[in-house]
Amino acid sequence: MAASSSSLSVSSTPQPRAGRSLVQVAVYSVLLLGTAVTLVPFLWMLFSSLKPASEIVKIPPTFLPEKWTFQSYQTIFNDERIPLTRFYFNSLFVAGARVGITLFTSSLAGYIFAKYRFWGRNVAFALILAQLMIPFQIIMIPVYLILVNLHLIDSLWGLIIPSMVDAFGIFLMRQFVESIPNDLMDAARIDGASEFGIYWRIVLPQLGSALAALGIFTFMATWNDYLWPLIVITTHERRTLPLLLTWYNAQQTSRYDLTMAASVLVLLPILVVYMFFQRWIVRGVAMTGFK
Amino acid sequence: MTNLTIPIAGKRPKESGPGLRAGQRGFVIGAMTPLMAYMIFFSLLPMLWAVVLSFFDYTPARAGSGPLGLGGANPFVGLGNYAAMFSQSQPARVFRLAVVNTFTFAMLVLPLNLLITLPLAVLVESVHDRIKGLFRAIYFLPTISSSVAVALMWGYIFHPQQGLLNTLIKQVGLTPPKAWLTDPSAAVFGVPLAMIAVIIAYLWQDFGYNLVIFIAALQGIPRELRDAVRVDGANAWQEFWSITLPLLRPTMLFVCVLTMLSSLQVFVIFQVMTTGGPRDQTTPLVMNIYESAFRFQEMGWAAANAMVLFLIMLGITILQFRFLRTDWEY
Repeated sequence: MAASSSSLSVSSTPQPRAGRSLVQVAVYSVLLLGTAVTLVPFLWMLFSSLKPASEIVKIPPTFLPEKWTFQSYQTIFNDERIPLTRFYFNSLFVAGARVGITLFTSSLAGYIFAKYRFWGRNVAFALILAQLMIPFQIIMIPVYLILVNLHLIDSLWGLIIPSMVDAFGIFLMRQFVESIPNDLMDAARIDGASEFGIYWRIVLPQLGSALAALGIFTFMATWNDYLWPLIVITTHERRTLPLLLTWYNAQQTSRYDLTMAASVLVLLPILVVYMFFQRWIVRGVAMTGFK
Repeated sequence: MTNLTIPIAGKRPKESGPGLRAGQRGFVIGAMTPLMAYMIFFSLLPMLWAVVLSFFDYTPARAGSGPLGLGGANPFVGLGNYAAMFSQSQPARVFRLAVVNTFTFAMLVLPLNLLITLPLAVLVESVHDRIKGLFRAIYFLPTISSSVAVALMWGYIFHPQQGLLNTLIKQVGLTPPKAWLTDPSAAVFGVPLAMIAVIIAYLWQDFGYNLVIFIAALQGIPRELRDAVRVDGANAWQEFWSITLPLLRPTMLFVCVLTMLSSLQVFVIFQVMTTGGPRDQTTPLVMNIYESAFRFQEMGWAAANAMVLFLIMLGITILQFRFLRTDWEY
């Protein structure tokens, strides 16, 4: 099949060479223009963060710094109102907890929905489907009122507890578990493994790539989450990084060197994650349609 | 609709199935009971509560007499909150403006997004594999970035004097707008300039997502189909219109629905770039819900607003399924 299709494609390109290379030039020009449009704003942010305060207010502005300096970063590091490690910890703690919990509940529920028939299965599945279809913005007011009653307002746990079960994650995991052959589990059963043991030692290792994809997406979504932390968190020390960023921006109007430096500091960890897992992330989006 | 009635019941696994053994039953009950309790408490309860709340004049500042703090000082008002949406009061006016803003935003974002991502996906798909990955990785970069940082960055780019955009516009010899984000009288074809600025920033942040999905869909179209039409003498343009585009229809539906739903829920980029101004010209519905509920504490009113948002999202999704559904397979 592959051979026949490739021979076809060779015979089906009758255009002259010059025309083809002209098309190639046009294609690459558009792609490079797109690349420039994508990257220039990032560079603008980065270069602005590396300008001294005197240069940032210049009109017209410079694109590249005339004088390169880490002044703005030093200002942020030395600002007592910004215990940076504290804010990184807040964001990391919430993202880490949500990743761990989501992976556990999604894979466990996905496994049970894929491999067990039990009473109430359809009702349970409908409930999860409903969560998938109703956006969080619609139910955030009652969820907030529940947290008030649980005394979880202004606590990092208030960012974790309302999203411990992820309908999308359950669907994703169920799909992957369905492809694991039953024989594998039956063999373990004969060997005397418990049902949880089968989940833990047989099913989980088979889900590696799906777990990685779900984990990365959950991490990024939590790291960048803004609306819910804005509602729940009120104490400065408990802010997550995006909240810190808007707070800092409000303190520093027209000191763009400082706000851009702070933005770079918030973006950096996620960019590092992206550099390492880029292939997985892009493939995961294409595979699952996750947003 | 008729094709849905094809009897498939015979193929379905029997729901009762082989009975669970004792150990299995314990495991399933042990795992599903807390899970379902959680879902009822944090998913089902809030859904019902949100609906109920929209029929009450509720604010957490007053202690109600009944369950959930409803009743008494927080009285039942029936459809009062919904009727109030048509009144001349200030909140009602902002709400109606927010509906218009949200529609304007979503209706502009969807076609513009498709206009960028679909051709770009075809171009990316046409280049050599190794470079393809590089372009895809770069184009996807904005989607993983924090929306707050992106919005701050674009707010700076749109700054009238210090910003990058107006500097570039001046350099090519044109007159830039006096203020992108704060001039209430500036508009293009009736769309406020601030709205256009936010749309540009949003498109920039969001396009990589649909691009990646389109590229994947293009790779899924069998090579033979495209080659066949080429053999028949079609050019690249005809190939795109008669083969690629029709076969992308299922992806198109998926992309349209998701892009629409997420742009109807937009919040962060507006909140950070414009905070809804100037004169509420860029207040989207979610911002109005947020402000009503958590700044003015009018949670009954905000819940009714949220219901309207939900109905809009539901209605548009159903419409899109009607128009873009297809039974083709390849």
